[in-house]
Amino acid sequence: MSEEDKNAAKMDDVQTAAVAISTTIIVFFVIYWAIQIDSVRDLLNMAYG
Amino acid sequence: MNQFVYDIAVWLDNTAWSTLLHESYYMYNWVESIHVLSLIICLGMLFLIDLRMLGYALPNVPASSIANRLNLPMLLGFSIMVFTGLLLFYAVPVRSTQSVWFRAKMILLLGCAINAFLFHKRMNESVSSWDNDARAPGRIRLGAALSLGFWSLVVICGRFIAYDWFDCEYTDVGSLSQMLSGCIDGQTRY
Amino acid sequence: MSTTSATTSGSYTKTITVVTLVLLILAFSFSSLRRDTWLQLYEFFLWMETTPFGVIGKTWGAVFAIVEAFHLLAMALLGGAVVVADARLMGWIFADIPAREILDKTHKVFVAGLIVVLATGIFMACGVAGKIYWLPVFWYKMLALATGIFFVFFIRRPLLRRDLNEIRPIVVKLVAISSMLVWVTVAATGRWIGFAGS
Repeated sequence: MSEEDKNAAKMDDVQTAAVAISTTIIVFFVIYWAIQIDSVRDLLNMAYG
Repeated sequence: MNQFVYDIAVWLDNTAWSTLLHESYYMYNWVESIHVLSLIICLGMLFLIDLRMLGYALPNVPASSIANRLNLPMLLGFSIMVFTGLLLFYAVPVRSTQSVWFRAKMILLLGCAINAFLFHKRMNESVSSWDNDARAPGRIRLGAALSLGFWSLVVICGRFIAYDWFDCEYTDVGSLSQMLSGCIDGQTRY
Repeated sequence: MSTTSATTSGSYTKTITVVTLVLLILAFSFSSLRRDTWLQLYEFFLWMETTPFGVIGKTWGAVFAIVEAFHLLAMALLGGAVVVADARLMGWIFADIPAREILDKTHKVFVAGLIVVLATGIFMACGVAGKIYWLPVFWYKMLALATGIFFVFFIRRPLLRRDLNEIRPIVVKLVAISSMLVWVTVAATGRWIGFAGS
């Protein structure tokens, strides 16, 4: 019983960590590329109006 | 022959879209980036197939299964690669046609095509007898190794196109490099 | 593991590490520490150019170009491994073949590709150290690369060593998506380093 509990808890840890880092990666990815695309748009706007 | 190729390249170079693409920092770089990223998809799949045949990757998955499933993403990457490659050529036509590396790359691509055709033919003929073997038979392995070699050389040549060591503009008239590049005496466009 | 609290904190090591690291990186990025570290690294980058790698890379353009080509080829290998493994996790291909088989074997290919990518990458970085030091995109790439490596060896691999049925499907999908995103970013920012200097 306690062995099983430990197993479940351990699995929870990696899964929670996986969710945490995956969410961080996805959020950072979206922000980074949004800024990149926006800066290109701005630059083109400045160049061609 | 060289004159004819040069004339076509100049004609392409004179079109408005070619100039636009060439002069556009963002557009050109995006096309170039997509070319390289789709290369990763296409060659990534291809290398996995070849390594499977050679017995280095995924030995427990049937060979035909690897080849058939990875074919679609590979061809998808390949078509994007060809399309962006044509655009890149179109942006810089004269310099490309007169690049030793570009010419070598085209010949190597022809080699890749012939090799791929033979590979598929041999594979379809005999795959049922060795599908579950970790290593494919000798002839298939040869095809896989050739494919790895040819494509590696294609990438190396492709990378070299960016360097101007043998450009007609900077080499001596009558030199071997000028002959291989098909430079025209007194040409004004590069 | 004698007390309950020890067990609880002990069993959440990875989560705590991840959250701490993310917070540390955020704090670092938005403080003056980032600029200070960057200034201090200048000496190191100058030194990189004086190493044999740096000298060779700067002197022989052909050697640099060949290394570049192998960097790309290894990237193809790494990318192929990532795409196949993640596509399997998403259930797009090889649905009839055990995920374990695909994941374990593609991981080997991934590691081989990563080693070559890192080795050739370090060589190239030495050759153009004075240039890349000034490029924001290079530092973003390093961040993405470090994240990718950490993600693979600290989270993804340990997680996927388990039976996939014991992991919530949503977690598997999240891991697959973020894995693809992080390596696409590494590749794309890498290509951009070449343009940024011209």
